[in-house]
Amino acid sequence: MADVTTGPAPYIYVSTRLRVRKAKLLRAEDYLRMLNMSLPEITRYIEELEYKTEIDELSPSFSGVDLLEVALSWNLAKEYQNVLALTPGAMTGFTAAYLRRWDIANVLTILRGRTQGFKPGKIKEVLIPAGSLDRTALDRVVAEESPDRIAEALRGTRLYPVVERELPAAVESGSFARLENELYKQYYAELIKQARAGIKGGNEFLQYIQLEIDITNMQNLWRLRAGGAVEEIRDYMIPGGRIPIEELARLGSAESVDEIVDSLKKRTNLAPLQEAIEELRSGISVRQIESRLTRFKLAQMDRMSRRYPFSISPVLVYLERKRYEVYNLRAIARGKAANLAPERIQEYLVI
Amino acid sequence: MVDVSSAVLTAEMIQASQAGLKAVGAGLAVGLAGIGTGLGEMGIGAAAMGATAENRDMFGLALLFTVIPETIVIFGLVVALLLLFS
Repeated sequence: MADVTTGPAPYIYVSTRLRVRKAKLLRAEDYLRMLNMSLPEITRYIEELEYKTEIDELSPSFSGVDLLEVALSWNLAKEYQNVLALTPGAMTGFTAAYLRRWDIANVLTILRGRTQGFKPGKIKEVLIPAGSLDRTALDRVVAEESPDRIAEALRGTRLYPVVERELPAAVESGSFARLENELYKQYYAELIKQARAGIKGGNEFLQYIQLEIDITNMQNLWRLRAGGAVEEIRDYMIPGGRIPIEELARLGSAESVDEIVDSLKKRTNLAPLQEAIEELRSGISVRQIESRLTRFKLAQMDRMSRRYPFSISPVLVYLERKRYEVYNLRAIARGKAANLAPERIQEYLVI
Repeated sequence: MVDVSSAVLTAEMIQASQAGLKAVGAGLAVGLAGIGTGLGEMGIGAAAMGATAENRDMFGLALLFTVIPETIVIFGLVVALLLLFS
């Protein structure tokens, strides 16, 4: 059978499917209702949703909050692989590039877990094989003892060149932060290349990637500045955003918060982002600003998918929304297990 | 050599070419309407397949929406029949 990969039909098909799936995701009022349930009630509640297969499959080996957590990760991974399987042609390449962020997260979890002496079984529970490295590939990597052997197990993947280059320094210093950052630099460079490769909605998505890079850079700038690591700022900034790295590095060494806020605000014309930057002045917690920025990013994506209904955007909107559904459910489950008050848990939710 | 300027159109020839042009018109009416219908159904069909794949209950409704552009080709057919048989 010949594959139909040209014309608008594949985009329409995939966009519709994922829009239907997006409509099935939990809504804000569902989360609020769950806040008043106990943990077993929550488990039962989400068992009635899309997570039934995973919960049934895993219930003999796990219980309580662990069951919920592993089931959520498995479901997320399955769902992402499924989306990848149903996107045709050029969209597959882009979606795969977008999902490669999970590879980075998984590899770093393995590296960090192994160097801190965790057992492979324990690490496996927190891996989310949603990227190009599937469960079997990750199992092979996680079974390795030393960081060098882990790097060797990654040979042949896209991550390998960067891991090989940065690993000796990371092992020596005992911190994988630089390695992580280098991997993200590679990830974004590749994503930008893919977005320019002529996919429908690619140019619009490029703007979103730039926004994401800018936000990540700003967050890193803020954290590094708070940690007093001003000299390293230039190394940690990801190229490709709209704010030039030179300016960010200069701002890192700026004396006053006001100066940073003023120059960052000038760099964007998006009102919600300006507001979030403005909040830095009032000294509210970074976490609050971050959850605001996340919400803003999601809203921006939603807007894009409405403006370009049959493009790559609806696919990516669904991937992100699903990710935050799992994130929210996990926050609720963990919060409930720790006996936090519903109001406290609600602060962590991205609704 | 045939002298074109002095050629004479007989009544039979005129009738025959009239019938021929009618047939060409009828063909164009159905053919072009069919292409338009196809283009219209392409998007609807793709979306209908997507919706049905996610939710089986959508099948009836999706099928209904998919065949709505068929009306265009029916208009074409009506015009063709009028041309040929009126």
